[in-house]
Amino acid sequence: MLTVRELESGYGEMQVLWGVNLDVREKSITTVLGPNGAGKSTTLKTIFGILKPWSGTVEYIGENVTNMPPHKKVELGITLVPEGRHLFPNMTVEDNLIMGAYLKRAEDRLEDSLDLVYTLFPRLKEREKQKAGTLSGGEQQMLAIARALMTSPNLILMDEPSQGLAPKLVKEVFETVLKLKEEGLTILLVEQNVFASLEISDYAYVLHEGKIAFGGSVDEVRESEEIKKAYLGV
Amino acid sequence: MAFVEQLIANLLYGAILGAVYGLATMGLSLIFGVLRIVNVGHGAFIMIGAFTAYWMFTLYGISPVLSLPLAMAAGMIIGVAVYLVVVKRLVDAPELATLLAMFAIGIFIEEAAKQIWGANYVGYSWEIGSISLPFTEIPYTKLVAFISSILIAAAVYVWFRKTKLGKAVRAVVEDREGALTCGIDVNKIYALSFSLGIGLTVLSGVLVTLFTPVGINAYMGGEYTLKAFVIAVLGGLASPWGAFYAGFIFGLIENGSYTLLGLIPGVEPFGLTRFVSFVVLMLVLLLKPTGLLGGE
Ligand SMILES: Nc1ncnc2c1ncn2[C@@H]1O[C@H](COP(=O)(O)OP(=O)(O)OP(=O)(O)O)[C@@H](O)[C@H]1O
Ligand SMILES: [Mg+2]
Repeated sequence: MLTVRELESGYGEMQVLWGVNLDVREKSITTVLGPNGAGKSTTLKTIFGILKPWSGTVEYIGENVTNMPPHKKVELGITLVPEGRHLFPNMTVEDNLIMGAYLKRAEDRLEDSLDLVYTLFPRLKEREKQKAGTLSGGEQQMLAIARALMTSPNLILMDEPSQGLAPKLVKEVFETVLKLKEEGLTILLVEQNVFASLEISDYAYVLHEGKIAFGGSVDEVRESEEIKKAYLGV
Repeated sequence: MAFVEQLIANLLYGAILGAVYGLATMGLSLIFGVLRIVNVGHGAFIMIGAFTAYWMFTLYGISPVLSLPLAMAAGMIIGVAVYLVVVKRLVDAPELATLLAMFAIGIFIEEAAKQIWGANYVGYSWEIGSISLPFTEIPYTKLVAFISSILIAAAVYVWFRKTKLGKAVRAVVEDREGALTCGIDVNKIYALSFSLGIGLTVLSGVLVTLFTPVGINAYMGGEYTLKAFVIAVLGGLASPWGAFYAGFIFGLIENGSYTLLGLIPGVEPFGLTRFVSFVVLMLVLLLKPTGLLGGE
């Protein structure tokens, strides 16, 4: 579904990605693991178009989307749940969700999408009229995922959804991601939480200093002693 | 008693002028809020509005009220042009670059205006009578300016709260990256906000002429740039509503202090009112650096 080839990018003069190759299959969960500063967020931002790719290609269902700006990608059905959530803090939960359905294609499905996210996250329904900035960390993460769902996506890029959450909530977030897959969505997940993310993933990559050091099915990653020691710190 | 009456009259006048000040600052705050660009050329756009009102009235006898939509449209077109030619390239540039660019645009507009319209002070007088209150008399022109300012500010407010595009602008202000993930074309929102900000500024220039009967000149904007900065900071810098309220407060302080300073023997109140305004600004910055109404 998503094919990334020899992707390079960075910030200003500083190159961060040195030829990243990734394949994401339809209706799968693919996880990119890697230590702090490996370039995981940079990879997602470059795929989504917040950062301009320096070279390489990104292909989505056979279409070259390498230099497509983010709003066009959302139109195509790709969205990002960014690291740090990036909610609209002074808007209500409901308005945050409505903003997610900004584009015509999503707006047409507004009611259905709202039903879906409120079923997935009943807690957000209870806090509908509350400002997003006043939610707890876990609720904010749910809202970030819910807002992404409002865009009617096919492919969700998720950047460390479990970051900063208590263990119980981490579990809840991963269960949600699995549910999304069961709903037919495709997910490219970036995580530091190795065990929990491998638990729900179909494929995994290990990113090291801006390059893919290893990639394969979850079982292959689990079995590779080398990988465990070198990159996962297990 | 005479003093109290004069103070009340001046405060009333201050509130009226303050509404126009507030409107004249909304564009500055809007542009800063969305693009994080400080429009140091702000006053030049007010000057364009003032000349629009002057020429429409002098050449065609068109009343300033009818010049308002015209000035708004002209301002929005100029705003889009400035955005596309200059600002677009500078959105991610260091602050100093945008500051210099806006400064240069202001000077360019002023010099162009001087070439086209000359350097003399001009003015016009729109006579529509006045209303008598027990303690003072207020020309209808000033009431028109007051009511127009409030209505226009209210319209902008409703546009922001209720329309889809207005909400998208708010979303970009609150979180640019979040807006991108919702499919909002941030560049389009930048162009729109800049254009709207300049449109409001040029429009406010029309209303300014109702307070300065003979004060229209290519360099008249400097004073308004200065006042708009004080007001914008009072209002919390990034919020057009904060700016509107702060404009009222500024008008009240300016005119109230004028009366009070006049009581001190040997003091020339006109020259000191600006001093008082800046003292207030410094006090606010010391006590509540996010602005009187800021803090969100
Ligand atoms: N906005 C930025 N400007 C400059 N350098 C940046 C920026 N963001 C990230 N970097 C640098 O790019 C490199 C990769 O960062 P990135 O955020 O992609 O890492 P990451 O794998 O997501 O790490 P983490 O697990 O901490 O989120 C780091 O060296 C980081 O310092
Ligand atoms: Mg990261």
